[in-house]
Amino acid sequence: MRRHALTFLAAGGLLLTTGCERPPVDAVQTGFRGVGLEHIANPRTVADSMASFAARVPTLAGQPPVDMEPAPPGTWENVQVLGHLSEGEFNRLMLAMTTWVAQETGQGCNYCHVIEDDGQVNFVSDDIYTKVVSRDMIRMTQEINANYASHVGEAGVNCWTCHMGQVLPPNYWFLQPDNTEAVSPYFVNQGPRQLERYYLDEPALRVISDDAALSGDSENTASIQDTEHAYWVMIQMSEDLGVNCTYCHTTARFGDWEQSSPERVTALRGIRMTRHLNTEYMVPLDGEWPDYRLGPLGDGPKIQCGTCHNGAWQPQYGVPASHGSGWPGLTVLGPAHPGTTQAPIEAPGTEPVSGRNQ
Amino acid sequence: MAEYQNLFNQLQVRHAPDPGLPIADPENRLPDTGFSYWLGRIGDAQLGPVYLGWLGILSLITGGLSIIIMGLVMWASVGWDPVQFVRQLPWLAVEPPSPEWGLRIPPLNQGGWWILCGGLLTASILLWWTRMYTRARALGLGTHVAWSFAAAIWLYLVLGFIRPVIMGSWSEAVPFGIFPHLDWTAAFSIRYGNLFYNPFHMLSIAFLYGSALLFAMHAATILAVAKMGGDREVDQITDRGTAAERSQLFWRWTMGFNATMESIHRWAWWFAALTVITGGIGILLTGTAVDNWYLWGQKHGLIPQYPAVWEAPVVEPGELDAPHQGMSFLSAPEGTLVAGVALPDLGLPVSFADLTGSADLPLETEMGR
Repeated sequence: MRRHALTFLAAGGLLLTTGCERPPVDAVQTGFRGVGLEHIANPRTVADSMASFAARVPTLAGQPPVDMEPAPPGTWENVQVLGHLSEGEFNRLMLAMTTWVAQETGQGCNYCHVIEDDGQVNFVSDDIYTKVVSRDMIRMTQEINANYASHVGEAGVNCWTCHMGQVLPPNYWFLQPDNTEAVSPYFVNQGPRQLERYYLDEPALRVISDDAALSGDSENTASIQDTEHAYWVMIQMSEDLGVNCTYCHTTARFGDWEQSSPERVTALRGIRMTRHLNTEYMVPLDGEWPDYRLGPLGDGPKIQCGTCHNGAWQPQYGVPASHGSGWPGLTVLGPAHPGTTQAPIEAPGTEPVSGRNQ
Repeated sequence: MAEYQNLFNQLQVRHAPDPGLPIADPENRLPDTGFSYWLGRIGDAQLGPVYLGWLGILSLITGGLSIIIMGLVMWASVGWDPVQFVRQLPWLAVEPPSPEWGLRIPPLNQGGWWILCGGLLTASILLWWTRMYTRARALGLGTHVAWSFAAAIWLYLVLGFIRPVIMGSWSEAVPFGIFPHLDWTAAFSIRYGNLFYNPFHMLSIAFLYGSALLFAMHAATILAVAKMGGDREVDQITDRGTAAERSQLFWRWTMGFNATMESIHRWAWWFAALTVITGGIGILLTGTAVDNWYLWGQKHGLIPQYPAVWEAPVVEPGELDAPHQGMSFLSAPEGTLVAGVALPDLGLPVSFADLTGSADLPLETEMGR
């Protein structure tokens, strides 16, 4: 009798630990003592995660060409954002993309370049959505590396950073329908969440008053629901980056910049970058996707922190294969090739950039 | 001493059920009684007679309705899927109306259910309180239980009614649900600048932990002197025997001071009641008088100034700033986990250089297939 009870208790006790992670968990103090600014990670799971990224690293064919002079006018037709490359560099980049993005399809060039009835590949044609999207994505990568070094550093990013050989990076999001049919007006603890509030529209994460102690002096109108949404976005960001709240924040006062780690500065730049990239590059593609790529409201996929970070505080923990430096085609906002028959793509900031309008 | 001579024995005696004192309205008392061995292991083995009365009946009806409605609302929120209802129950919620409704009454599916559930639950609780009060009176008891229950009801009403009304919005109130009400607590603390710096929250925690400590000290003391008659602690208030003498001397020896057989119960009552009374005051002041408890604490010297430890001061970046404050992770040595300026040494079993070095895998693009 007693033995049964003990067995039952032990089994029940074990059940309670199923949500726990096997030790060790290391905490590395990064701020002043006592404030709890710590980087918390489990070396075992981090090592596993690193190994899984490292195992995927591709070997790319070819060396950077010696001749980096832009290809003479008329070399290509309909090249809109890579006009600053030499022919050799252009081909090296195109070949790399067949691995970076189309590896899983095994289609190589034909994932983005259509085959005509006569069996020839038509490199000029925009008659396939993947080519239009790719051009937009190249322009996006160029802008990240050229204008957002404050977030991605001098190393920068390339297609592999997010795609890792897959046509869709593992993490992305869509707009979600309002939950008006459900009895409860919104579920704070289960979808739909309003990611667009943070990664598309407004910077509505600030819910704590930073100027006034007393209610009479405060103009802060953030509600508890706003706070719960902000909390959820932060938790999602934490999962996206594989870090704890205390990686950036002193939890005694989340909003205080002086008490935050420098990583928080990088992270905020990342949020702003994400918002910009969604607005300028992802949303304008909405009309281009085939139906099977669309979300429940008919919009195309959009990016979040985890799209590139995939659970690591630095994408793929900084493996060189994820760097954009060394790829001249991806580090500056490239011009159209003079031989192109179509209008060059607009520089960002003047008009929404979109390959499909060209 | 034979075990049966101690009040704290585990013997169970079966006899005709004890109906209790004769009362004026015996028809309100359910005649059913019985014995339970397992209840006898932790308390009195006799069950009943239950006194229900109209207060009890109404309280059960309103409370039952409230719980049933909560369950149905939660079930509806998963599309009436019974499996999902069970799986997701800890996360399901009946949420109060959203902020734009203020104190108006929204349609049922936009927070109206929350008002209905809350109203029914409040009615049930108040009816139950009245029942505790009148039953204590009917037995000629003091009304201490009713007043300590009232202290808890104070906190409940502040959270769900008084403070939302002062704030002018139902959305400030707590949702019904297992994790949702915990999430509300976290969000509430964050929104109002960290409740830990709220002095009434501090008092409430002190009384809460103090209650647990007093409970443990008192229970241990009485159990320790039970074999000397300390189990008859109420007798010993007026007729102090060796159990009281020894237990009290024990505390004077060990900490110089002792409560009495009588005062320890007043300590316990006040600690328990003050937990929720101070807690209610702390919640009531939050958002109505104080918008940011951290800043309030800073203003009143609760919070030390911490020195900056970063190479450059951390400031909010402007919308368009570009420089990276020298935090480029390219400058980090190979094999280091890099995150801005902080390079945490996680004591990893392998270095990243090892990993990348061994990852010279053949490329499988399957081109030309």
